[in-house]
Amino acid sequence: MKNSSPQSLTFFQRNSQRISQIVIVTILILLTLPIIVGYAWLIIRSFSEDITHGFIPTKLTLKNWRFLWQEMKGYPNIWHTTLNTFLLALGVMGIEIAVTSMGGYMLSRYDFPGRSAILKFILVLHAFPAISLMVAIFYVLWNIGLLDKLWGIILLKASLEIPWGTWIMKGFYDGVPWELEWAGLVDGYGRMKVWSRIMLPLVKPGMAVTAIFAFLSGWSEFIFVYTFIFSQKTWTLSRYVMGIIGDYRFADYGLLAAVGLFYVIPTIIFFFFVSKYMIKLTIGGVKG
Amino acid sequence: MPSIRVVNFSKHFGKVKAVDNVTFEVEDGEFVALLGPSGCGKTTTLLTLAGIYKPTSGEIYFGDQLVNDVPPKYRNVGMVFQNYALYPHMNVFENIAFPLRAKRLSKEEIAEKVKAVAKKLMIDQLLGRKPMQISGGQQQRVALARALVKEPAVLLFDEPLSNLDAKLRMLMRAEIKKLQSDLGITSVYVTHDQAEAMTMASRIAVFSMGKLVQYGTPEEIYDSPKNMFVAAFVGNPPMNFLQGFTVVSEGGQLCLRRGEMRLELPASAKERLPENLPDNVVVGVRPEDIKIETTPVKNSIPATVYVLEPLGRDVIVNVRLEDTGDDIVKIFAEPNTTFEPDERVYIIPKQEKVHLFDPETEEALL
Repeated sequence: MKNSSPQSLTFFQRNSQRISQIVIVTILILLTLPIIVGYAWLIIRSFSEDITHGFIPTKLTLKNWRFLWQEMKGYPNIWHTTLNTFLLALGVMGIEIAVTSMGGYMLSRYDFPGRSAILKFILVLHAFPAISLMVAIFYVLWNIGLLDKLWGIILLKASLEIPWGTWIMKGFYDGVPWELEWAGLVDGYGRMKVWSRIMLPLVKPGMAVTAIFAFLSGWSEFIFVYTFIFSQKTWTLSRYVMGIIGDYRFADYGLLAAVGLFYVIPTIIFFFFVSKYMIKLTIGGVKG
Repeated sequence: MPSIRVVNFSKHFGKVKAVDNVTFEVEDGEFVALLGPSGCGKTTTLLTLAGIYKPTSGEIYFGDQLVNDVPPKYRNVGMVFQNYALYPHMNVFENIAFPLRAKRLSKEEIAEKVKAVAKKLMIDQLLGRKPMQISGGQQQRVALARALVKEPAVLLFDEPLSNLDAKLRMLMRAEIKKLQSDLGITSVYVTHDQAEAMTMASRIAVFSMGKLVQYGTPEEIYDSPKNMFVAAFVGNPPMNFLQGFTVVSEGGQLCLRRGEMRLELPASAKERLPENLPDNVVVGVRPEDIKIETTPVKNSIPATVYVLEPLGRDVIVNVRLEDTGDDIVKIFAEPNTTFEPDERVYIIPKQEKVHLFDPETEEALL
């Protein structure tokens, strides 16, 4: 029989918790390294004249950020492009929130003919690769006169995101007990008022999640902008970045890094604002 | 004038008959309990009274008004839910004020009414807190305040005490009863706890499998249950049932026989018993309606002591009847009673308290 007093424990047994922590952290660092290195390169490159050994700046400069204060030949105004990108992201977000907050409620609370068919169809729709619809979408946009218009992209992007958002919102509505809604009805309100004054505040975390993903998907949209937008005044930032890489000129890596970094900043700021909702994803106050 | 009238009310969910042809009345200012096990249709009935469900068939009247199609907001009912259903995003003040805001009262009036009802329920120091930050008992009071603040014509309770601990439940039981009788608001109270129904209600509607089995005062329900379900559901410990007796007439005296066992029925049984008796009957006796003797007397049944359950105030003596050895009978005895296990005793049911049931239909015969 082995003596199991604390003194006889091996080094590994005594420090098992710390060791496993070290192992986990090491694995996580290794896995995230490519991303960290990528961003580090982006930051360093955007502020340097040139770099050697992949990482070492030869001379620090702000020249790469010149696109912020001077017109770049062959490119649209950066602030106009940024505004377009914001309009696209906020447009997608606004439409998606408006539609999914109501659609999710209907799917969660009402039993209407075709409900289960819609639920199944939503998942299929989300799994459907939008790229295979390119030609059909082109035809539709052309017919309704929204080709080369930001509105066209906003509607298109929103419609593709709505099924998934509705599914998410339905899940959040499902989590609100029926009794809260009944209480609102008994307290003297109609169904609409109960929805807006009780249900909506309680699914705020769901709306935040949907909003984040809608914003980000609009902000980072590239393929539709690239395909359906022709005039530079309607470019968004993703198209602008593409313009730097894909031009017949030599690629200006300093400019590319600076624009790339500029493109990421709003996303990070936006995320900080809404992340508190993602953390407290609980609906409380009701004992089961 | 009855305040609530439920006439031939049925509610079906698809093929499931949640409530099946129920009729009862609640008098103005009365406190009625709907009692039954879970899934018996009592909560469905309550939600229909609130206007949340619509009857599949039948009529619901508030006073003289048919309210079948009246939405909840026009019914002027207050409701307390089992899980309280407080709005988690509003503080206590806003929760209580919510029904008043629907009526578009002035700010001052709302503040005044909320404070008055909060004071009455002793939660006035909690008005700034969120529901998550107060205890279950306090949440219960807030829910009650929210139901009372609009001075409803009808109060509906859906198992409001079942989430509280036993001690608090006893306290709130008395408080709700007092509050109801002070305010005189017509109330319907759903519960599965027979003690709650017995202690609080002036009349009890016993539900079973979607049907209203019996409607009467607590005494009626307790002393003359209509069938074996009611007899077993009301009372703690429940009524003792003994199977396989026959009713025989011995020289003008009606007796119950099972083998050697012989029990005399009271003289009044002759008129009260129906003409055609089944061959077999079930005998039902409540635990407090049996005496225990150590020596054989007239009309006594031999038994052996099985186990004793002392409760402090009294003792439940479990005895096993000697003839078949299968029947365990629970008897309330004096607190200082002492018996040894396997001791021989003689039990004497009180003649006039003996119930007879038809084993097929389970309906009461006597």
